[in-house]
Amino acid sequence: MSSNVQALIRAAPRAGRWSLVLVAAAAALGLAACSSGGSDQDGADQGGPKKGGTALIAMVQEAGAMNPLFNDQSGSFLSFWAQEPLFVARPDGSFDPVLAAEIPTEENGGVANDGRTVTFKLREGVTWSDGKPYTAEDVKFTFDVIRDPDSTAIPPSAYDLVESVEAVDDVTVRVQMKKPNPYFLGLFQQTLPKHEFDSTAVTTEHPQAQLPLGTGPFVFEEFDEGDKITLKRNESYWNREKRPVYLDGITLKITPDAQAAISAFQRGEFDTVFFVTSGDLPDLTKARDNGAPIEVTVQETKSHVEWLWLNGSDNGDHSKPHPVLGDPAVREAIDLGIDRKAVIDEVLEGFGELNGSVFYSGLANYDIPAAPFDAARANKLLDEAGWERGNDGIRSKDGVRASLRYQTVTGDQTRELYQQIVQQNLEDIGIEVKINNVPSNLMFGTFEEGGRLARGNFDIMMSRDGYVVDPIEEGWASIFTCDQRPSKSNPGGQSVTHWCNEEYDALVQEAGSTVDPERRKAPYEQAARLFARERPALPLYSSTWGWAWSTRLKGVSKDYFDGVWRSAGDWYLAR
Amino acid sequence: MGTYVIRRSLQAIPLLIGISIVIFLLLQMTPGGPLASSEGGGGRATAERTERLRAQYGLDDPLPVQYLNWAGGIVTGDWGTSFNTGRPVLEAIADRLPTTLLLTGLAFGVSLLIALPIGILAATRQYSVFDYVSSGLSFVGVATPSFWFGLMLLFLFSFELGWLPSSGLEDLREQHVGLAAVWDRMSHLIMPVAVLALISTAQLTRYVRGAMLDVLHQDYVRTARGSGLSERTVVVRHAFRNAAIPVVTVAVLMIPELFLGAVITESIFAIPGMGRLFIESADLRDYPVLLGILIIAALLVVMANLLADVLYGLLDPRITYE
Repeated sequence: MSSNVQALIRAAPRAGRWSLVLVAAAAALGLAACSSGGSDQDGADQGGPKKGGTALIAMVQEAGAMNPLFNDQSGSFLSFWAQEPLFVARPDGSFDPVLAAEIPTEENGGVANDGRTVTFKLREGVTWSDGKPYTAEDVKFTFDVIRDPDSTAIPPSAYDLVESVEAVDDVTVRVQMKKPNPYFLGLFQQTLPKHEFDSTAVTTEHPQAQLPLGTGPFVFEEFDEGDKITLKRNESYWNREKRPVYLDGITLKITPDAQAAISAFQRGEFDTVFFVTSGDLPDLTKARDNGAPIEVTVQETKSHVEWLWLNGSDNGDHSKPHPVLGDPAVREAIDLGIDRKAVIDEVLEGFGELNGSVFYSGLANYDIPAAPFDAARANKLLDEAGWERGNDGIRSKDGVRASLRYQTVTGDQTRELYQQIVQQNLEDIGIEVKINNVPSNLMFGTFEEGGRLARGNFDIMMSRDGYVVDPIEEGWASIFTCDQRPSKSNPGGQSVTHWCNEEYDALVQEAGSTVDPERRKAPYEQAARLFARERPALPLYSSTWGWAWSTRLKGVSKDYFDGVWRSAGDWYLAR
Repeated sequence: MGTYVIRRSLQAIPLLIGISIVIFLLLQMTPGGPLASSEGGGGRATAERTERLRAQYGLDDPLPVQYLNWAGGIVTGDWGTSFNTGRPVLEAIADRLPTTLLLTGLAFGVSLLIALPIGILAATRQYSVFDYVSSGLSFVGVATPSFWFGLMLLFLFSFELGWLPSSGLEDLREQHVGLAAVWDRMSHLIMPVAVLALISTAQLTRYVRGAMLDVLHQDYVRTARGSGLSERTVVVRHAFRNAAIPVVTVAVLMIPELFLGAVITESIFAIPGMGRLFIESADLRDYPVLLGILIIAALLVVMANLLADVLYGLLDPRITYE
């Protein structure tokens, strides 16, 4: 038996401890079920992973183009089933090479010139799913497309720092940076196959933007818009010796009603749902405990944080502070006045965590405690700051009433429940809160579109954000810098707080100017502490991130920064 | 008759132009826009990208120019391309149209099959138990919100009893052949068609009953009865033929209504039809697709009105068009 288990473990080399436990358990069960063995090599005959079958996944949001270089809808995230990255992020923010042969460091000569030159060594023998070799030319071509002003690529911000990309030989790529680029391992999460293109001016209509060709365990087969997306096993997968790819394929069925999708999943109509939210976890856990044929698991590390963005401007005018929130005492009182524990316990049924830090995941995670709930102190602060209660219990100062709009995206019932808790909490300390939720388009619209966040036309807005491998990823740390405040002259600014603090800017600048992870942590930590002190935004809770899948589906591993999905190459169906 | 149809069709043109201007402006007035980013990091667009997309989508042009570009395209068959997928709008709609036609066609058929016999029977047995029960049910049917009815059906037949699949039009886990394939398709259609047909069936039942009652009290029906014809002949040959005239008008006007009802049904049951396309496009502010669907809906309403008038004339020889 032990040799059999070892064979299985060999079969899933990239999976973490979690999946080893699963695989071992499955093997033990399988052995108990079938008594006599055949060849030790062929686990499939012996109760090991079964080859064949299709996983059916409910997808609750319309997908759009599946190549994330051209589309930022959530569905394109799953493109990694076909498109493999050079490096993959683990839950602790470290990276492992996939299509690259090794992690470039100063020691192995991969990083030189103060981090301005990075040399990627590619793995030998990698092929595209059509059999053509995967080479440095493809990597270079990908960058050429990103840089072509006529292409509609929407690359992650890490590419902004790239000066040039050069294919030294078939397996060596040299990248020159404009300045040190600490997030260089996050580059080339997707590579475009050069042989499929005539030019670098690639737009969303291109078939490779819709259903990209890749090197991964699965191949996109068909996209029935609005209905389903099918993937088939990559029969010539370069890594099939180590990763046999048990499933024949994966079908994503678009089921827009998330609630109906979850219910159908609990009954076994789907193998999993992309994706379950923390609001679904209590119900799913109960269903599992009541015997529904599903597995539920949660990520131990923190995930997306629900933020209250406090407007740092007077209706978008950066020369004036917000009439109410501009007072640091008010911000602190709000921070102290919210009973976060009640939100987590009463609404989220425990599926949430307290967090007080702006950097809480991956490389830079600082455990700054959330402000303790202390209404008495909040009241005292406001009293001292001169905010006096009126006849109706609401405070005012110099004729300004402490009345705030509190908004988030419409249609999320879980959020509406805890909005009411926050509303009650703040009314208890004499701040009037008006809940007035808006469609996501209106909230996140661009400056030109009149988006409320971009225009600074809000008091408190709430959205989830900040789950990043590195604060520099997607510019998370830098959306709070002064130069990101959107205005008529800077319509592309990304600040959601309209806050400006030069000390913070300098720290983020410092952390971004070196590639040595150890030297970057200190300024980020200082910046996080400054942020927690100044309170341009308040963290409400960190969602518990979880996944649920059918007991039919085995080999699921959560040893990836972004969840269980990347383990699909190791999935198989129970007998 | 021919000239009448042509004249009415020509009159529809300014009407359609008016409608197109209104829907174009209404869409522009909805808050937000196609470039809004999504929640949760990934969607932070750079200023450069936003600008490039604005130019690419022609969003920087003045409104009248945008309208004329679009309207000109509609006439010449170039309905634009989807902001979201980059596909031509006509192609995207053509992909989805058959599914919606299947749903609405079936729902229309089911409505007629149920409403006609029940309405006639209820009218011939006015104030009987059958009449009260059918009237009561049709009031309930008219008053039932279809999204609620759909969710109830889902809950009962899919989640509790497990008899019917909850989404889509086919079993995606296995391919069925022969009779199993027919059942597979049917089992996926039963609930959506029931939801879509609910309101129109209830309304139509009321209309049939009303129209029949009007006719049954006419002198010529009494004469027919008096001359010893069987009740069956009286009801079917003499009364119903005349009662059918207003019923046909109402039924034809129900077609666009059914078509729009598909928006809700398709969303509940995850059916990839035009209704779903409409919702998806509305979420993403995909103006070209939205406009395309709205124009088709407008056309459908205008054409159904014309068809109702023409059928009226054909069925009732007393009416002539000049």
